[in-house]
Amino acid sequence: MEEEAGEAPGLGRPAAPKDFHFYHVDLYDSEDRLQIFPEGNTRMRREVVQAEMTNEPRAAVKEKAPRDLEEEVDELVHLYGLEDDHELGDAFVDESMPRIEVSEYPPYGMMGREAAREQRDWRLSGEEANAEDLGLGGWGSADQCQDLREAYRYTHGRASEEYECYVIPEEEDEDEAADVFCVTCKTPVRALEVSDEHKEHEVTPLHKALESAKDEIHKNMYKLEKQIIEMENFASHLEEVFITVEENFGRQEQNFESHYNEILETLAQKYEEKIQALGEKKKEKLEALYGQLVSCGENLDTCKELMETIEEMCHEEKVDFIKDAVAMADRLGKFLKTKTDVEISTQPDFDDQTLDFSDVEQLMDSLNTIPAPSAPVINPQAPNSATGSSVRVCWSLYSDDTVESYQLSYRPVRDSSPEKDQAEFTMTIKETYCSVTNLVPNTQYEFWVTARNRAGLSPASERAVYMTAPSPPTIKSREIRSCEEAALICWESGNLNPVDSYTVELSQAEAPGASGVTESVVGIPTCECLVQLQPRQSYIIYVRALNVGGPSARSQPATVHTTGSYFHLNEHTCHPWLTISEDGLTVVRSERRAPASELLSSDTRFTRCVAVMGNLIPVRGRHYWEVEVDECLDYTVGVAFEDVPKQEDLGANHLSWCMRHTFASSRHKYEFLHNKTTPDIRITVSPKKIGILLDYENSKLSFFNVGLSQHLYTFSCQLHQFVHPCFSLEKPGCLKIHNGISMPKHVTFY
Amino acid sequence: MALKQLSSNKCFGGLQKVFEHDSVELKCKMKFAIYLPPKAETGKCPALYWLSGLTCTEQNFITKSGYHQAASEHGLVVIAPDTSPRGCNIKGEDESWDFGTGAGFYLDATEDPWKTNYRMYSYVTEELPQLINANFPVDPQRMSIFGHSMGGHGALICTLKNPGKYKSVSAFAPICNPVLCPWGKKAFSGYLGTDESKWKAYDATHLVKSYPGSQLDILIDQGKDDQFLSDGQLLPDNFIAACTEKKIPVVFRSQEGYDHSYYFIATFITDHIRHHAKYLNA
Repeated sequence: MEEEAGEAPGLGRPAAPKDFHFYHVDLYDSEDRLQIFPEGNTRMRREVVQAEMTNEPRAAVKEKAPRDLEEEVDELVHLYGLEDDHELGDAFVDESMPRIEVSEYPPYGMMGREAAREQRDWRLSGEEANAEDLGLGGWGSADQCQDLREAYRYTHGRASEEYECYVIPEEEDEDEAADVFCVTCKTPVRALEVSDEHKEHEVTPLHKALESAKDEIHKNMYKLEKQIIEMENFASHLEEVFITVEENFGRQEQNFESHYNEILETLAQKYEEKIQALGEKKKEKLEALYGQLVSCGENLDTCKELMETIEEMCHEEKVDFIKDAVAMADRLGKFLKTKTDVEISTQPDFDDQTLDFSDVEQLMDSLNTIPAPSAPVINPQAPNSATGSSVRVCWSLYSDDTVESYQLSYRPVRDSSPEKDQAEFTMTIKETYCSVTNLVPNTQYEFWVTARNRAGLSPASERAVYMTAPSPPTIKSREIRSCEEAALICWESGNLNPVDSYTVELSQAEAPGASGVTESVVGIPTCECLVQLQPRQSYIIYVRALNVGGPSARSQPATVHTTGSYFHLNEHTCHPWLTISEDGLTVVRSERRAPASELLSSDTRFTRCVAVMGNLIPVRGRHYWEVEVDECLDYTVGVAFEDVPKQEDLGANHLSWCMRHTFASSRHKYEFLHNKTTPDIRITVSPKKIGILLDYENSKLSFFNVGLSQHLYTFSCQLHQFVHPCFSLEKPGCLKIHNGISMPKHVTFY
Repeated sequence: MALKQLSSNKCFGGLQKVFEHDSVELKCKMKFAIYLPPKAETGKCPALYWLSGLTCTEQNFITKSGYHQAASEHGLVVIAPDTSPRGCNIKGEDESWDFGTGAGFYLDATEDPWKTNYRMYSYVTEELPQLINANFPVDPQRMSIFGHSMGGHGALICTLKNPGKYKSVSAFAPICNPVLCPWGKKAFSGYLGTDESKWKAYDATHLVKSYPGSQLDILIDQGKDDQFLSDGQLLPDNFIAACTEKKIPVVFRSQEGYDHSYYFIATFITDHIRHHAKYLNA
């Protein structure tokens, strides 16, 4: 606030006593105090100022206003008998000016400055407000308005606050408190006054008006607080920009300095070279001229000598003269024959030498540009950054390089790559990273990158090998086996090349409490995993393949129910006479038989007894399944080790345990066979559905008549290895297997 | 119906007790043995009634069969009554081991002089259960019955004559068709008179033929080396044939090498206790 005031010297506003600055409006916001201004006084003051403002140039107003206001203050002081209170007077002077400014700009004040207007209106009758509006209409030029608006902006906020301040001392002078508020006049009035002046106006109780005024002020305060925060943020942002500008310009200064130094050095060197060449030329020329001068002198001497000799001869005797004259004539003839060189061998002016400034020009040119970037550094592949069809390649450069774009190139890596002409791909990128898409899953790619700016292209980076994530595996849904505690999941890799490992993700389906929780089994090296589960739940299972590039997408989901044990019949063990239904759970032996000679003995396939084995999950625990049978059918059901001799009957060895039913001459015979022996048990009601309970923990195998919940027999058997369910049909017919069912309670007693 | 405790011994966490009381049906003092499993301390348990064979008292089963562990584990109260009224001073009651004392055959006698006291059927199906229900922590809705030899016969007829009363039944070497065997003929003619048509009311094989068909699951163990089997006293085949025809579920296990003794019972008692527990604790 103080700063803002300081920046508005044009207002001629005297420095306010600091004490007045931050009185909070709330402390004094009762309208009735405002009422203490005698109306006449307010009006008079306004008239004075307005008159001056309309008649004089604006600047004059600004200078005169304080003076006028001082007069006003004196008046007020006089009015209230407070001549000695100079502080109060100062306050008036301080505040009057801004307040007047406020008053002069109602349109501005109305634009979101409602509070200010209201405050003002408390003091002004409706008439005055109108007059003001009119006054503004005929008021000065547009830029005048602009200037004043700015001035207003500086002072406005404080005007309204401090206005409250100077009324404080008047508090004790209150005799008759106003008790109602005239909404029309926006002024508090005594109830008595309502009868005359305000009788047709809307009047509300003072406390309500007070509350609404308070609310208004609170709203304004809130706005101001928000503005303060915004401004503070803006200021800190400006600071940051400030620092950045300093840094950037500093860097550019250094850049310029080094470049200009370079240019100056180059020029100095050129100067030296030129001066030296010039000196040499001069010396050469002078020497040549000197030589010529010397020979010219010599010639002159010879001529003079000849002249003298001839003159001497003319004074000699005739005989001598003739004699000498002949000799002289010869000599003269010889001399005259020799040419006298009077051409100037060297020109005084120097050769027109072109000055070569090309290198300097180049330097000058490069002054505004930057050096070509150095080779970027390509990062090694970040873990889990790849997908099956894309990799995210990242690189970096030396920090002071300026780069406009990068060129990222790649090609697939092939182990057998005698042909170097593998397709290369290049792309231009602005950022220092790129997600390269449309790649082949589980494949290595070699990447390298170059940086480019106006000055040119950098060398290529080192080559980095990135690998795409594998393709999602495919769960072999038909081969999923489960029991109450676990499931055995099998899948196809889906990738030609080996992957690093697999992850099995499982979440409980339709579990309201634990929805969305996904467990993962990680680091599975093979395409098979036994996962531990909770009993009687449904799970949704996904598999991902992993390599260094990351995990593949999820496989298609498979659902596992951990109710009872679930298995399919193993077709590899199936006797050729048996057929297995589509769902893998019904065995049919038809009447038609293939010749027995076709059957070759096998380790996996039953060849003698017409049987098939189920694939039970290899979990030691309790497994229960049921077999629907025909009462007249000859069948054998039970369990056997995987390596049970396939050319023997079930129960005919120590590797299988089973219940055999034979129906002959209207008699049912039930045998519980192990190692060719059976207890003697008679059963009066033939089961239509046989329950089989395999209990590894107690080493027991029990058979039940499901319909009657009747226990038929229990084997005690030592199960060192895992056994599998076995089903055999001694006569044409069919067996229907029910599994994935919870164990009936009655079987838990065995 | 004051109960007098004659003995109490801790066994497999529970208590094997013997009581004596004055029987209204039998008009004599009767002893019975009762095993209270640990579970009975905290709540009502199912009751399993054991009927012993000829010559036995309440003692044979509790001392020889070794049923306690299984009963303790399954939480079954096991009640073993005596096999006949005692000390009634009826002429000839002690003359033979297969008639009179120790050979009540679990029927209500209609002939003098037996008809006053020899009401073992009513005793084991009415009076004793009421006494037990009133004095011990048992669940009246859950009771089963089993027995050996004559007791096996008793268990079968009690069940077949009261469809739904017993949750399950089992027997060791029961007398399956007494009207056709020497023991049965002697006893039935003595207690019921010479009208053989009346005998059928206490013959399991005959009762099966008219059994209305409440769900039953009968477990029978039979030793193959049982001399009374070969003597034609037990006749299980007749019973099985009747059950097969009437589709009454029976699992009949012929146990190789076992005789009629309590050694045989002790061998398979656990299977029988489990058989009953399956229905009583279901």
